[in-house]
Amino acid sequence: MLPDHPIAAQFAAARAHPGPALLATATGLLNGATMVAGAAAVGWATDHLVVPDQREASAWWISALLILGISAVRWSTIFVRGVATGQVQYRAQAETRRAVVRQFLALDEGWHRHRSPGRLLAHAVSDVDALWSPMQFAYFAFGMAFMLVLALVELFRRDAALGLIGLGLVVLVLGLNTVYQRLLAPRARAVQAARGAVGTVAHESVEGGPVVRSLGLAGVEEARFGAGVERLRAADLRMARVSSVFDPLLELLPTAAVLVVLVVGAPRVQHGALTPGDLVGVVYLLITIAIPLNVISRFLSMLPMSGAGLERVQEVLRSREIRRSGSRRLAGDGPLRVELRDANVTRDGRRILDGATLTLEPGTVTVVVGAVGSGKTTLLDLAAGLAPSAGVVTFDGTDVRDLAGDEVPSSVAVVTQGPFLFTESIRENLSLGSPYGETDLWNALRVAAVDDVVRDLPDGLDTVVGERGATLSGGQRQRVCLARAVLRRPRLLVLDDATSALDAQIERQVLQGIAGVEATVLVTTNRPAAVEIADRVVLLDAGRIAAVGTHEELLGRAEYARLVNAYAVAE
Amino acid sequence: MLNRTTTALLALLAGAGRIIAPLTVQHVVDSGFAPRTVGPAVAVGAGAVVVAGTASMLLNRRLQDQVETALARLRRDGLRRAHDMAASRFDRTPSADLVARLTSDVDQVTTFLQGGGIQFVTNAAQLLIATVIMCVYSWQLGLPVLVLAALTLVAMLVLQRVIARRFGVARRDLSRMQSAVTESVLGAPVIRSTGTGERARAKLDTAVDRARDSLLRTLPPLHANASLGEVAISTMTVAVLLGGAYGIGGLSAGQVVAMVFLVTFFVRPLQFLVQSLGEAQNALTGWRRAHELATTPSAVRPDDLELPPGPVEVCADRVSARYGDGPLVLHDVSVRIEPGEHVAIVGPTGSGKSTFAKLLTRRLEPSAGVITLSGIPLDRLTTAGRVVIVPQDPFLFDGTISHNVRLGAPDGDVERVFDDLGLRGWLATLPDGLDTRVGLRGERLSAGERQLVALARTALADPDLVVLDEATSGIDPATDMVVQRALAVLTKGRTTISIAHRLNAAAAADRVLVFDNGRIVQSGEHPDLVNAPGPYAGLVSAWRQQ
Repeated sequence: MLPDHPIAAQFAAARAHPGPALLATATGLLNGATMVAGAAAVGWATDHLVVPDQREASAWWISALLILGISAVRWSTIFVRGVATGQVQYRAQAETRRAVVRQFLALDEGWHRHRSPGRLLAHAVSDVDALWSPMQFAYFAFGMAFMLVLALVELFRRDAALGLIGLGLVVLVLGLNTVYQRLLAPRARAVQAARGAVGTVAHESVEGGPVVRSLGLAGVEEARFGAGVERLRAADLRMARVSSVFDPLLELLPTAAVLVVLVVGAPRVQHGALTPGDLVGVVYLLITIAIPLNVISRFLSMLPMSGAGLERVQEVLRSREIRRSGSRRLAGDGPLRVELRDANVTRDGRRILDGATLTLEPGTVTVVVGAVGSGKTTLLDLAAGLAPSAGVVTFDGTDVRDLAGDEVPSSVAVVTQGPFLFTESIRENLSLGSPYGETDLWNALRVAAVDDVVRDLPDGLDTVVGERGATLSGGQRQRVCLARAVLRRPRLLVLDDATSALDAQIERQVLQGIAGVEATVLVTTNRPAAVEIADRVVLLDAGRIAAVGTHEELLGRAEYARLVNAYAVAE
Repeated sequence: MLNRTTTALLALLAGAGRIIAPLTVQHVVDSGFAPRTVGPAVAVGAGAVVVAGTASMLLNRRLQDQVETALARLRRDGLRRAHDMAASRFDRTPSADLVARLTSDVDQVTTFLQGGGIQFVTNAAQLLIATVIMCVYSWQLGLPVLVLAALTLVAMLVLQRVIARRFGVARRDLSRMQSAVTESVLGAPVIRSTGTGERARAKLDTAVDRARDSLLRTLPPLHANASLGEVAISTMTVAVLLGGAYGIGGLSAGQVVAMVFLVTFFVRPLQFLVQSLGEAQNALTGWRRAHELATTPSAVRPDDLELPPGPVEVCADRVSARYGDGPLVLHDVSVRIEPGEHVAIVGPTGSGKSTFAKLLTRRLEPSAGVITLSGIPLDRLTTAGRVVIVPQDPFLFDGTISHNVRLGAPDGDVERVFDDLGLRGWLATLPDGLDTRVGLRGERLSAGERQLVALARTALADPDLVVLDEATSGIDPATDMVVQRALAVLTKGRTTISIAHRLNAAAAADRVLVFDNGRIVQSGEHPDLVNAPGPYAGLVSAWRQQ
């Protein structure tokens, strides 16, 4: 579990990857030390090589060796620190990403209904990236903080006044940074929010591309998107305004400090209290201090964005809208007996299903008919194991809420209105990773009347369908989805208008096949053909079960006759 | 031009401010630390720092303004182009890719800019100034520094190519990872109902891990490049120190010290530039991808012709079509549909009906033959708002029903359209009637309800050619009959092509075209075809049996 503060999160990642984290820390510290040592070496060389007219022979090679040796440590630590840091960063990033997408899979349909795919993608990609982005500077910054301490000690060792100047510089810079971050944090959150809004509109507009095109709405969409883009630009600039003041200030403070050191130090050199090399070393140190301060502020400046990303990632990881399940198992393996008792479904304040009471006897075929918006899909969802808002649904007498999590998927197969295929081969789309035999696959395809289609594909079962099955026609996709359901030998098969894209002949063929499957079957369709295979018909009207009976029994009811015979009357 | 000069000038001033330190040190050292020289030298230095600070602030504001304005433009143009590009191209491009080009790719530029992109500019200026001053001090000492810098640069550039290659792989794997996430989000209902979560997780894990591994492979060359700068600094410092002390260039002690500092001021920016190259590269790639979208050829051309007013004549002349490199799915189809005619297209699943609809809306380009509307080839026409297709699964925007219906005609009378279509009863079942919010993609409505909204939207948009592609498949028979009757009235005088499995639509049409195996095999009025031998009679008898 991730902690709530971005800095704490970086520590948690270090604990999870102790090897590279330790290496990065050690090389970071070593690297910081070489910066102070490097400045001292330049000071030494000034006193022994540059200033004096008479030089000792050893001064030449000692200078060269000191500078090159310290540098060798420095550049090797730069390399090791960088690689080790990346190891921690990218591994932590991948782990968080896994956790987020796994959580997406675990969360229930209610949670998903209120969040757009674009937003979920942003959580999994950009929010996770933002969360771990400060890591790239974390060990660098840590080493540099160590360097600052060393530098201050070094300064005080030479001269208390110089030490105070150094201390003043560091305090000033860190103080400014604190104010800077305070100002930045709310602005960074505003930027993230504006990005999210732009992403949502972009996603919707692209998904609705065909409508935009056909109705000539490109201009309208441009204006709508433009407004969000403008808000994002304004938010980005509000953030930039702050940095445009603080960045130059922080950058130039070391130079200002050098000037102060010269004013304070020059008289001391003249009086002999300091050597010229001391002063040069100090100036060198102050100039190189620009780097650590820069790195530390870059690290700090990424924290607000990281915090915003962390908050959004946490929102996903902490969601508890996971379909609740119990631990009970279903006995037996024949067709299921499904019972709904006084089941209600209320969604977004709309009562979609009201007091539904219905029993599906094992092995029977039940067809649900009703006008548009009468609640057919919701009734099917309930029968397929979705917990109602009120009332009870049982499978073989067991409340579905008490069933173990994998019990429902392993005994119920659902085919929905929108046929969804993965960008994989037909074989993979059917088996979804389980080892089904060739015969089983072809049998399922035959029941769904799509075996001939698959046989004619260039690679047969191994043909890869395009993104979301785009290379198949709507009717072909529907039938492959049907075959996928049949293949699993479900005890309850639920078809939600799953034959809408098929022509009458093929639909009849498919329905006959379905009727022959050894399962309890529940079908809704907007075409009267299905009632032929029905043992019982359920008539829905405005969210209530208006009548249950055989086709013949129901024909006596006007609204049923009107639905079923609509076309015949027209003929 | 003036703009760029101003930017360059500000950058030079900002860069010069930092370099003032070594120059002041030189004066102080060479004066033997005499207070008389220290005071004025420091005063000059202080002035330079203030000027540099101001220049830096102004530069920051300028660049941010310019870049953010350009980015906002890029996004707007990008979306516009997504809607204006050829429909066939739009269909082929994964939507996640388009969205990325409008969002995360552009964000990357902002992130780079705020994370040190502006220092990129000041550092470049500093590099330039340091070079000039070093050469003014002593070209003999400046030369080895420049030679070493050139060698370093060559090495860095070689490494940079490796980095670019590995980042290319990483980007590809990252985009595959994004596709995998999108797929698992959209396919969540299937995954849930089949209980194949374990497999989905494994697939996602693989995609995430592959992206991680590709990123990890970028690390060694990236950081080798960074440490190269350090190697350069130390060798140059040693060269300048020893050479200066030896008397090359005849420099004073102060000048040698200043040169040592200048080496730092020369290599640090170089190093900074190199260290930021990875981020710069990301930003640049992001920019390029966004730019690529914004400059995709538009299918809308200024010389595109408007459809002449009134009903549209549709003419297909020996049209063939295929998907990608696949086999032909339409063979040599020729048909003329009169202005105002209502034609029904029927045929078994996979007979090419929907392909024909795709050709009419240019979501697919014919592989041979020409389609004309009112005598004008389709690719020279602007048809927005005049030719409307109602698909089987219409898209609704997150808003109210009324908002969605009004899209094509902002001033239209929404209530009347629903009345005309006989849908008042359905509206009454909704909690807030016309003000009912439909949710993301219309998900709060059922598939059939979405179709009703799309039909009302089309009726209100008042197009001259309507293509109904299984537009009522999710609607119950009774409502379908009401809607079909209403549509017949509404589409009177408009050319209408309806593709349907439900033959009631065919019976109501002026003419029926029967497709089979990618060809038109029968054409005529319903009563004639019903009694003629051929596939239509078979289709009708299958239909009647239900």
